[in-house]
Amino acid sequence: MDERLEKALDFSNYMLTLNTQKRLLAEKYQESLIYFYSGSQFTITRELITFVSVMVSADQDEVVLVDDNNIPCLVHDLDNFYGEILNQYASASNTYHTAYVNLKKNRSIEKLVDYD
Amino acid sequence: MTKGVFLIAKNNGFIDYVKQAVFLARRIKNHLGMPVTIATDSVDYLTDTFGTKDFDKIIPLEYSKGTNTRYFFDGSLSKKTANFKNSNRASVYDLSPYDETLLMDTDYIISNDLLKSCFESKSNLMLYRQSDDIAKVREEDEFEFISNTSVEFYWATVVYFRKTQTNKVFFDLIKHIEDEWNHYRRVYQITSSLFRNDFAFSIAIHIMNGFQNGNFVQDLPGSMMYTIDKDVLWQLNGDDMMFLVEKKDYLGEYTALKTSGQSIHVMNKISLNRIIDKEFADD
Repeated sequence: MDERLEKALDFSNYMLTLNTQKRLLAEKYQESLIYFYSGSQFTITRELITFVSVMVSADQDEVVLVDDNNIPCLVHDLDNFYGEILNQYASASNTYHTAYVNLKKNRSIEKLVDYD
Repeated sequence: MTKGVFLIAKNNGFIDYVKQAVFLARRIKNHLGMPVTIATDSVDYLTDTFGTKDFDKIIPLEYSKGTNTRYFFDGSLSKKTANFKNSNRASVYDLSPYDETLLMDTDYIISNDLLKSCFESKSNLMLYRQSDDIAKVREEDEFEFISNTSVEFYWATVVYFRKTQTNKVFFDLIKHIEDEWNHYRRVYQITSSLFRNDFAFSIAIHIMNGFQNGNFVQDLPGSMMYTIDKDVLWQLNGDDMMFLVEKKDYLGEYTALKTSGQSIHVMNKISLNRIIDKEFADD
């Protein structure tokens, strides 16, 4: 095989694996953003955080939020709810960032999939 | 309220589902901390080979030969035809000793505690509607709808339910659909005559929703990640798994990928059993 083509195919395989690993990391990140409160399931988004923040700023103690399954949920302790989703969002995002940066450092398929 | 996980293992002389169930029960204890009940037609094999310590209860099932046959692939170039005994899944409602049950296929490899939250949920019945092929190189339409002209697809791989009157009606309906499979598969325009639990559950959900899409069931948390049997589970290290996934348009060529802390439905049961053998040998 032509050496130029061989190198291109090697790189192509590497990129394929890198992109797959990036996608799997993103999916794991989405899973780690799921927050459970009083039997309801919320995926933490910047929109949710902002809305809850506005409600807290407006001195609201409780609010009805619609969860991932379209079930309304009355959140009683809004301050605590806000703190918890903010913490979980920050923690999940930091973990995602660290894993992403580490992934990008790997320059071979073996290292990308951590294969001995 | 009693809570637990329920597994069904019926060996077919080719795939050792009992071994898979033992392996999964250990992972469930680690990740979910829940008791596990097994229903099997191979009780003697289970107790003689693996003992009983991994299970809260062992429920004997009557042995049947099974009439369904299908290909079992081990990667894209190797396959074998064998029986598979997927009947009577709906009987789990009556068999389960728990008020709240998480029913799981034995080839679903638990690697996190996400499903634990089901037991705190307001929903009485939860299944996976969303799924992700970890390879992302194949069409996923077959897991969107049960046929090109039919209703939404739901996975029966993992099912959470509480014992309620409505859920009793639901599981009895699934039994009825299974008994009258040839009728229902024609009504729902399924071309294959092969009975699949995913299809029976999907049809029952459609009927319970008033013959339309609706919210009779809620989604389990996250989405169900899977690999098909054309992919190979290559390595397992704790909650890390390495797969060789089929390369698009290159038969027999694979791309390596690694998952970490993600629960995966591994459809290549042959490669899964190889890995389990290795794990048990290391223990």
